[in-house]
Amino acid sequence: MLNNFIFIVLPYAALALIIFVTPYRYFSNRLTWSAYSTQFLERKTLFWGANPWHYGIIPVLAAHLLGVIFPGPMKAFLGNEFNLLVFESIGLALGLFAVFGCLILTLRRVNTPLLKRVTFASDWVLLYLLLAQSLTGVYVATFMRWGSQWYLHTAVPYLWSLLTFNPQIEYVTDFPLVFKLHAAGAFVIVALLPFTKLVHMLYLPFDFLKDPPILYRWRTK
Amino acid sequence: MNVRAQLVMVFNLDKCIGCHTCSISCKNIWTDRKGAEYMWWNNVETKPGVGYPQKWENQDKFKGGWVVEGRKLRLRAMGKGPTLLNMFFQPNMPKLDDYYEPFDFDYSNLYKAPPGSDQPVAEAYSQISGERIEKIASGPNWDDDLSGSQVYAVEDVNLEDRKIVEDYGRMFMHYLPRICNHCLNPACVASCPSRALYKRGEDGVVLVDQDVCKGWRFCTSACPYKKVYFNWQSGKAEKCIFCFPRTETGQCNACAHSCVGRIRHVGVLLYDADRVEAALLKPDDQLVAAHREVILNPRDPQVREAARKNGVSDQWLEAAEKSPVYALVKEFAVALPLHPEFRTMPMAYYIPSLSPVISSGADLHELADHGTFPLLEKMRAPIGFLASLLSGGNQEIIAEILRKQIALRLFKRAGNLGQPIEESILKNAGLDEAGANRLYRLFTIGGYTERNVIPTQQREELDSHQRKGASGFGILKKTRGPK
Ligand code: HEM
Repeated sequence: MLNNFIFIVLPYAALALIIFVTPYRYFSNRLTWSAYSTQFLERKTLFWGANPWHYGIIPVLAAHLLGVIFPGPMKAFLGNEFNLLVFESIGLALGLFAVFGCLILTLRRVNTPLLKRVTFASDWVLLYLLLAQSLTGVYVATFMRWGSQWYLHTAVPYLWSLLTFNPQIEYVTDFPLVFKLHAAGAFVIVALLPFTKLVHMLYLPFDFLKDPPILYRWRTK
Repeated sequence: MNVRAQLVMVFNLDKCIGCHTCSISCKNIWTDRKGAEYMWWNNVETKPGVGYPQKWENQDKFKGGWVVEGRKLRLRAMGKGPTLLNMFFQPNMPKLDDYYEPFDFDYSNLYKAPPGSDQPVAEAYSQISGERIEKIASGPNWDDDLSGSQVYAVEDVNLEDRKIVEDYGRMFMHYLPRICNHCLNPACVASCPSRALYKRGEDGVVLVDQDVCKGWRFCTSACPYKKVYFNWQSGKAEKCIFCFPRTETGQCNACAHSCVGRIRHVGVLLYDADRVEAALLKPDDQLVAAHREVILNPRDPQVREAARKNGVSDQWLEAAEKSPVYALVKEFAVALPLHPEFRTMPMAYYIPSLSPVISSGADLHELADHGTFPLLEKMRAPIGFLASLLSGGNQEIIAEILRKQIALRLFKRAGNLGQPIEESILKNAGLDEAGANRLYRLFTIGGYTERNVIPTQQREELDSHQRKGASGFGILKKTRGPK
């Protein structure tokens, strides 16, 4: 029952929300598409929060995605013991870095009066959720060794089975509860993404890398 | 030749009385909103002073504008690669305290306070946190009229000799009204990774597309004039829009319109877009000359032909011909760009203020031959200071302009008193009688339509779908948070 909820209901709900709500928000009101930076109001602690958080979480997230997209090459790469050791160590370090950053970000919101006006329920939900998510992640990485390897043989085929609408949850149902929490957290975060400021990670600018520096817009041409 | 048109404002500092009327009219129209309380798209500073935000001119601190690297310009702050790595935390962005914490007063306390032995007061509270402010620590014109000069004015980067602040006999001041310069080489536009900032092709106004802006804040840091602001409520960047809804219909900007000293002129300049970059590679003290070269003569048939080819309409060409701005910036060459060495090629120009006429009794000042004005080197406002502000350190350019202003005054004074005027005074300053009279009109009695020549923009030329989308600022849609 719980397994069905976590591994079938949640992921499909999240998928539906992110696929339909994100473009809706993009096309209906782009005025809310922002990371809602608070650096202007408080910058000292933000530096120690935002940098570790993003530098930690982005590579870790990318590694998760890499496993899903290129399971074959990843398996080959991590088959080498040395590679696996280095990969896991870096991953764990980055995870701890992210936890540290997220903790700072959360405490910062608690302790800075100026931020009260720009802190909404969604900010708390996100920060606590992401903190919990990175903590369960670090726990899994520490106590369920070689996750980057077994992830490819369990979670990845499961995720693919979701995408092909043939969910095979046997791949993941035997895991301990922390892992299930980590998975559930991930789906909840994806589900909330289109409704919150997390959308900021979806619209990454790359055009400017090739554009000439000064952009003109002609209304008559 | 790639001719484009630009709407430009000229400020006659000689006439600015620092009344802040411009700032108020701008604020009432554009920044009287949540998240924008601290913004002054138009502000007036006292020079010497640290300005708003404090020390904005100090690029060692804020890293705004461009620098020359070899035969290329690059943003002082960072290139494109580092831009991607600095998206999470903006290293050079000014913080709230560099502006000030916006405050208002709780007037309801005046009638709500319980009976007591003392008068109730309207207490200050923060417009951001809503909390009471015990002691207001800063404000939009905190160092107005040299107040606290030992703390603020001494920090002015343009001062050569800081001791001057302590010497009452030598101290000087003038005002500096500032809006967005709508630069030809805007650093804010170049720095935006989302490409939300753009320059309008038709009139050169620099705008932030609120839909495209994602709040990465590189523009706020990159603008050396600190004229792009971050709205803490909407999470996006905002800036002076040159009152485009007004100028499009031929009315002048709210700040210029409300200026009681009538120090502002608005008009069209034609420039050669292909020559901008090369001009900006020149050394600091040649930048003013380079600016002037980029600006084209609207009466030159070749220029007109090229302009027409680029879609500049006849109406705009006519406005360019009559442009008071062209007269002041290029023909008479009395208006200068603010800090040209930031290399954004700002399109707001300033006529330097002439130091006051002083009594010949003062022993501090040696007067020139004609007996009315002090020698240029002995002017109250040091030429070096004006040069640092307006000509990339080129003192000769400032001296030329001051000589013109002095000659003009002597010429009109002689006329008023019915005295003969020596031809040589006008001639030495590079003026003739007709020119002097024209300049006099522009400086003094020229009416609204002489001071401002603003062609309308033909809405019917626009694609109707685009026109529908261009609803202005987009403030009708909801942003985050309570209303
Ligand atoms: C991919 C590129 C990303 C960029 C460029 C980016 C950029 C930013 C920026 C500019 C801020 C505002 C910081 C400030 O207050 O000034 C921010 C905040 C935040 N980001 Fe990201 N981000 C990215 C990815 C992510 C990812 C992958 C996550 C999480 C899964 C994330 C979670 C957050 C959170 C939770 C905040 C809010 C922090 C707070 O409440 O103080 N970001 N991000």
